[in-house]
Amino acid sequence: MPNMFHLLPVEAYTSQDWYLREQREIFSKTWRYAGFMEDLSEPGQYMAVQAGLNNIFIVMGRDRRLRAFHNICRHRGTQLIRAVGKTQKALTCPYHDWTYDLEGNLISVPEEQEEFGQVDKACLGLKPAKVDLWNSMIFVHPDPNAPSIGEWFSPVEEYIGPHIPEELVEYEELNQSYEIKANWKVVVENYIDVYHLSHLHSNTLQMYDHKAAEYHWEGPHFVFWEPPSAEYLENQDSKLIAPRVIPKDLNGAWVPMLFPGIGLTGSEDGWNIFIVEPLGPERTRVLNRGRVSDSSGWKFAKQAVTSSMFWTKLGLSGKYERHDAMGDDDPMVAGDFTGEDIYACEQQQKSLHSPYFETGPAAAGESPVIHHQKVVLEWLGEGR
Amino acid sequence: MSTSAFHSLKVLDTRDEIGGMAKTVLFDVPRDLRETFRWRPGQHLSFRFFVDGQEQRRSYSISSSPFTGEPMRITVKRVKRGRVSRHINDTLKKGDLVEVMSPKGNFCLDPDARARRTHYFFGAGSGITPLYSMLSSVITAEPHSFAHLAYGNRNEKSILLEEDLEALAALNEDRMSLHHILSRPGWWSSADTWRTGIVDKAAIETLFEEEPPYAQDTQYYVCGPGDMNYAVREALMSLDVPASRIHMESYGGSKELDASVEEVEGVGATARVTLNGSQYSVGVNRGQTLLEAARAAGLTPPFSCQSGVCGTCRGKLTEGKVHLRARMALEDADLRDGAILTCQSVPTTQSLSLTYD
Repeated sequence: MPNMFHLLPVEAYTSQDWYLREQREIFSKTWRYAGFMEDLSEPGQYMAVQAGLNNIFIVMGRDRRLRAFHNICRHRGTQLIRAVGKTQKALTCPYHDWTYDLEGNLISVPEEQEEFGQVDKACLGLKPAKVDLWNSMIFVHPDPNAPSIGEWFSPVEEYIGPHIPEELVEYEELNQSYEIKANWKVVVENYIDVYHLSHLHSNTLQMYDHKAAEYHWEGPHFVFWEPPSAEYLENQDSKLIAPRVIPKDLNGAWVPMLFPGIGLTGSEDGWNIFIVEPLGPERTRVLNRGRVSDSSGWKFAKQAVTSSMFWTKLGLSGKYERHDAMGDDDPMVAGDFTGEDIYACEQQQKSLHSPYFETGPAAAGESPVIHHQKVVLEWLGEGR
Repeated sequence: MSTSAFHSLKVLDTRDEIGGMAKTVLFDVPRDLRETFRWRPGQHLSFRFFVDGQEQRRSYSISSSPFTGEPMRITVKRVKRGRVSRHINDTLKKGDLVEVMSPKGNFCLDPDARARRTHYFFGAGSGITPLYSMLSSVITAEPHSFAHLAYGNRNEKSILLEEDLEALAALNEDRMSLHHILSRPGWWSSADTWRTGIVDKAAIETLFEEEPPYAQDTQYYVCGPGDMNYAVREALMSLDVPASRIHMESYGGSKELDASVEEVEGVGATARVTLNGSQYSVGVNRGQTLLEAARAAGLTPPFSCQSGVCGTCRGKLTEGKVHLRARMALEDADLRDGAILTCQSVPTTQSLSLTYD
């Protein structure tokens, strides 16, 4: 009997084999975040993104439509495609200059006569992938015939919050990316663990009433909402750090975790994304970006000044006092909830290697963790 | 029953449009003909009228959606010297019987409740009638999709179905936009004019800029009078829209509309080539590019990618004409100056002059 981490064997969190299975069965078969819509907003702009085992190339035409292709030149299979040209763009591989049009048709093979005799260009177009926009984000799917992104996310749309991200503007200082030395599921399961909010984050997220949280699953997607605490709610507009972005009757923190690893965090004054990307069995990248109200700098300044008193008084602080610190940079003392989460995830990952590893009972507030493991098992073809 | 049989339908009601210059005719389709008259957005009806003792047949697009519960209807503009259009506008009234064939046509938009698409509609004048049916069908029966209409008219008094369009747009601001283009707007304008002019490339480019597609499965529908269809199609293709996404009523036997033809062979020609200060006479075989011909003649002109991408093989045409198979490395202004990419050029005149210097 292998050591178990609730429903999954420990090796699901540590082995290369599981990592590759998940890359193949989950991350290559679902919609993958590629960027904000602003990232490709002018004709000719392009980017490439890794979606599971697939590298996908996205480019915008002069019709402002996005096209997505597998970044594999049909000649030697090299992942080198780029978009070149002044106004009329072509997709080309610099290796041997095979060139495709914006629909992926192979239009030119250098020295075709001398080198090949003849090449059947019609059979050698770039392989298409699917691309779409949803909630101001660009998503790609490796399968061009995948169901629409509307179908994939429509069950959660009514639960993810009233934010209209297309009407908010990116606040670039929120843009960060960091690696966590833990399996991606540890990171996701921490994000959806309701029980830990009052404990690990006792002094960093206390402005929300965790006991009143409402959460459930819609298919593979987790949805979560919790109201502001009574203290935060009272005269709340003077306490928001940035101008309000949602109506008061829909107050609260809206924190869904869409599958796989697509976290959103909407609140009264902002909207953020938390994208989880597995890099290896025990390495995960998290990308954060955020949007705020499209208001003047003056409004932001005013909001920052009026709210500062509340936050000073509330006293966001570390879980432990300075005298209990395990060093100068102990995340349990620093008072930053992201640092607290990273620390917990990495310590969890370390423990998985102990021959003595064993879990106790899961709390009611940890039921999402168990459910997420079920979802993973189902996608790997091992569900009931 | 033959699909080309005529059926008698009763006029349910009529409505004057644009100050009496057009008329909408609504039909009562009895229960036993519902199946026969089930229509797809974009289809048209063929009518048989007897005007002054003569049989006249005409087709009109259905201007209502089969998904909204509205009656089947047509909207007919009064045309000077148009016998049937005048007959409809002047005499047709509630309770009359008219002879109609079942709906036909392949210029259609079939909504799909699960699809998530962006539909662009380009119309002018009466061309709005099938487009309105499509547009209102999308709004009603394709809830995840978006729709944008660029609609050309002479002035604010000639906008067919304006109230229907405005009402639809007002209720669906988050996924529909309406753009009026007037060629001769009046002093005062009741319509919210977007541009003055016609539905041309500049208008289309601006529309894409202002209303870029949100859903990335985009489709383009064109319906207008005369040459508008082909002009819009050409403009769309010059903006990278693939032909497979452009839908327009095909009236058959049209001109050579396709600027996209890949393998133009050109003609055999003689080219006078200036390279590094010397002049050469080079024979170009049919199907051969200028670059291939120059190299076959032993010259060493500059070239690299042979894809029309890098611009290394660029030359200037001083006499004659060529067809450029691709031109990624050139801007419109370069072309106007006579620049060509020799690796992509096949002669279309028998005599040419080209300089690399």
